[in-house]
Amino acid sequence: MEKVEVRAEQTKPNYLNNGYSVWSWLFTKDHKRIAIMYLISISVIFLIGGIYAAGIRLELLTPQSDLFETGTYNKVFTHHGIIMVFLFLIPAIPAVLGNFLIPIMIGARDLAFPRINLLSLYIYWLGSAIILWALLQGGVDTGWTFYTPYSTTFSNTYVVATGLGIFINGFSSILTGLNFIVTIHTMRAPGMTWFRLPLFVWAHYATSLVMILGTPVVAITILLVALERIARIGIFDPTIGGDPILFQHLFWFYSHPAVYIMILPSMGVISELISNFSRKRIFGYEFIAFSSIAIAVFGFLVWGHHMFVSGQSIYAGLVFSILTMIVAVPSAIKVFNWTATLYKGQVSYDTPMLYALGFIGLFLIGGLTGLFLGAMGMNVHLTDTYFVVAHFHYVMVGGTVLGYLGGLHYWWPKMTGKLYSEFWGKISAMLVFIGFNLTFFPQFILGYMGMPRRYAAYPPELQVLNIFSTAGASVLGVGLLLPVIYLVHSLVWGKKAPDNPWLLPGLEWRTSSPPPTENFEQTPVVTWEAYDFSDENGLDVEKVKKELATV
Amino acid sequence: MADTHKTHHVKGLQHQFDDMQQQQESATIGMWMFLVQEIMFFGGLFTAYLVYRSRYPMAFAAGSNHLDAFWGGLNTLVLIVSSLTMALTVYYAQKSNRAMQVVMILLTMFFGLVFLGVKVIEYSDKYNHGLIPVTGWNKKTSKQVVALPFETKAEAKETHDSHKEKPYVNPNGDFQWNYGGEDLVMLAKEKGWLTEAEKIGYFDPITKEFDPKRFENKVRIFYWLYFAMTGLHALHMVVGIIIMTWLLWKAWQGSFSAEYYSPVEISGLYWHFVDIVWIFLFPLLYLLGRHFLH
Ligand SMILES: [Cu+2]
Repeated sequence: MEKVEVRAEQTKPNYLNNGYSVWSWLFTKDHKRIAIMYLISISVIFLIGGIYAAGIRLELLTPQSDLFETGTYNKVFTHHGIIMVFLFLIPAIPAVLGNFLIPIMIGARDLAFPRINLLSLYIYWLGSAIILWALLQGGVDTGWTFYTPYSTTFSNTYVVATGLGIFINGFSSILTGLNFIVTIHTMRAPGMTWFRLPLFVWAHYATSLVMILGTPVVAITILLVALERIARIGIFDPTIGGDPILFQHLFWFYSHPAVYIMILPSMGVISELISNFSRKRIFGYEFIAFSSIAIAVFGFLVWGHHMFVSGQSIYAGLVFSILTMIVAVPSAIKVFNWTATLYKGQVSYDTPMLYALGFIGLFLIGGLTGLFLGAMGMNVHLTDTYFVVAHFHYVMVGGTVLGYLGGLHYWWPKMTGKLYSEFWGKISAMLVFIGFNLTFFPQFILGYMGMPRRYAAYPPELQVLNIFSTAGASVLGVGLLLPVIYLVHSLVWGKKAPDNPWLLPGLEWRTSSPPPTENFEQTPVVTWEAYDFSDENGLDVEKVKKELATV
Repeated sequence: MADTHKTHHVKGLQHQFDDMQQQQESATIGMWMFLVQEIMFFGGLFTAYLVYRSRYPMAFAAGSNHLDAFWGGLNTLVLIVSSLTMALTVYYAQKSNRAMQVVMILLTMFFGLVFLGVKVIEYSDKYNHGLIPVTGWNKKTSKQVVALPFETKAEAKETHDSHKEKPYVNPNGDFQWNYGGEDLVMLAKEKGWLTEAEKIGYFDPITKEFDPKRFENKVRIFYWLYFAMTGLHALHMVVGIIIMTWLLWKAWQGSFSAEYYSPVEISGLYWHFVDIVWIFLFPLLYLLGRHFLH
C-alpha cells in the first residue's frame, strides 16, 4: 500500500514535469522555472569568476610577477571582481532563492509581474553575454571600480563594452526589486500579515528598496563614463574642468548600498536557518525585520568611507565615519538576536545549519573589521591594502556565499524534490569554512603589514602568509566544487524528498516537493505566526512524520 | 477565495491575481516603484548639475543665456497642456467613453510630438553654432559670420559685422564659445561674487589674466549637462509616445472601461512624470542666472 502511494506521488503534477521542451522553459512565466534558469546561469558565472580567483592566488604564490605580465594581472583581478560582484553576488540570492521562494512563502501563485520577471532574466543574459564577450576580446584593466580619469582617459581596454553590460544588467536587478516590492505588498495570502512574513521576505523587501534606489545611479554613472570615453565631453576630466572625484561619489553612492544588496538577502536566509534549525521562534522578530530596513536606509548615507584619502573634506569624512559606525548597529542587532535564538533551542547540525553557524562567525569578523576601516585614522593606514580585500571577502564570501549555499541546501529538497547526501554536505560545509579562513585571515595580517592590493609582485618577506592564503584557496575551491558534484548527483540518484523534510511550519513546507506550477492546490489561509513550532499551527505533524519515516 | 485560480475568467485578469482590484493595485504600485527608480536615474545628472553649477555659476549663466527661453517656455506650456489631455484620457476611460479617449490620446501624442519638434529646432541651432560639447559633432565650416542663436546669416551680418567681431570658423566641428563672458566675470570679480573654483578656473595661473579658453571649458560643462539631461528627457518622451501609440490601439478597440483602466492610469503616471522632470529642467537650464546678464 505504501508503494502505491509513492507511485501516485511521482506522477503528481509539479512545475518540473509541466512541459519538457526547451520552449516550455525559455517562454515560461513560472517564477520557479525562472529561478532554476538563474541558478544554472549563476553557477556557470561563479565558476568563471572562480577560475580568475585561482589565477590571482597562483600569481601571488611567489613574490615575483611570473605567471602573468603585470598588465594581464590587472585584467585578471578586474575580471574576477566584475564577474563576482555584478554577475554573481548581486543577483545570486534574490534571483535564485528569492525568486523561487517569495511567492511560495507568502502564499501567492506567482510574482505580481511574471513577464517582467522573465524579462529580467533575459536582460541578465544579455548583459552577461556582453560582459563575457568584452572579456574575451581583451578585457578591462581598470579594477571593478572603474576609477576615473584612468578608465575614461587612459585605459586602452574594453571599458565601454563592459560598462554597457553592467548598465544593462542593472535593469535586471531593478526589475527584480520592483517585482518583489509589489508582490510583497499585494500578493500575500489571506491571514499573511506583515508581521507573519518570514524574515527572508523582509530581508528581500529591504534589498529591493536598495536595488530600486541605488542601481539607477550607477547606471547613469556608467553612462557618463561611456560618454566621456566616446565623446570626451569633460565630465570627469580635470584638464577641461571636470571632476574625477564626482565619479567616486556617484559610484559609491550605489556601490556601498550594493554591499547590502549582497548581504541582506543572505541575512534573511540565516534568520530562517537559525530559527528553524533551533526549532525556536526567532528572538526579536520585529527587531530583525526593521534592522533590515534600517540597514537599507542608513546604507545610503555612508558611501564617503570609501573616499577618506580621495581629498574629500575632513569634516565630510568625519560625518561619514560616524554614520558608518551607526550602520553597524542594526547588523549587530541581527547577530545578537541570532545568538539569542540559539540559546536553549533544540539545535540540530544539518548541513544548512553548519553554513549558518559559519556565517555568524565570519560575518562577525567581516563586520568588525569594517568598523576598523570605517574609523578614519585607521583607514588612512589600511586604504588599498590587503586588509580591505580580506574585510570585504569576509563579508561577501563569508556572508553572501555561505548564506547562498546554506539556503540552497536548505531548500534543495523543495526546489528539486530530491535529497542530497548529508554526509558530503557536511564535509563540504566544513571544507568551505576552513578553506575560507585559511585564505583570507592571512590577508588581514598582510594588509596590516602594508601589502597593497592589485599588484602582481610583493616583497619576499610576505611570501609565507601568501602561501597560506593560496593553500587555503585550494581547500576552498574543493569545498565549493563538491556541492556541484553531489547536488547534481542527487538530481538523478538522490532519494525522493518528502514535502516537509525538516518538519517545519513555514508555508513553503506545506506544499508538495517540488511544488505544483500554481504553488498550492488551494490558496492557503494563514492562521499562525511565523516560526511557530507549536502543534496548533495547522501542520499535520503525524502525517509529516509518517512520510519522513518512509524515506 | 480558496478556489479562485480555477474559476472565473474576468476580461484582462491575469492568472496570478485573485481579482481586478489586486491586479490594479499591483500595477499602480509597480509604476510608482518604477518612477522612484527614474527619479534616482535622473538624480545622478541633477547632482552633477548641482555640483558644477555651484562651482562655476558665471559660466553657467553665460551658457544658460544662449538657450532660448522662448522655445523652452513654449515647450513647458505644451507639456502642461499634454498633462491635461493625459489626465482627461484617464477620466474618459473611467467613464467608458471610447471616442473621447481616442481624441485625448491623439492630442497627447500631438503635444508630445510638438515638444520633440521644438527640441529638434533647438538642437539644430546649437549644431549650427558650435555649441554641442563633442568635437566633430558640430557644423563644420571654414568661415561664417558669428550669429547669435536663431539669427539668420543676413541679420547677423547687419548687426555684428559692423562691430568687427571675429568670424565663426570651425573646420573640425569643435565646441566653441564666441559669446564673451569676460565682462561678466570681471563684474563678478569686482563685486566679490566669484566662487573659489571660479577664482582659479577662469584665469591663467601665471599671468592671472582672464583666459577665454578656460572659460569656454566651463561653459562646455554646462552644455554637456544640457544635452545629457534634455537628451535623456527627450528619450523618455519618445518612449512615452510609443506607449501612447499602443494605448491608442487598445483604446480604439474599446479595451478600457470603468472596470478595467489600469493601463491608462499607469501610462498616465509615466507621462506626468516625464512632464514633471521637464518642469525642473526648464528653470535649471533656461532661467537660472539669466539676470546676471540683464
Ligand atoms: Cu562601503
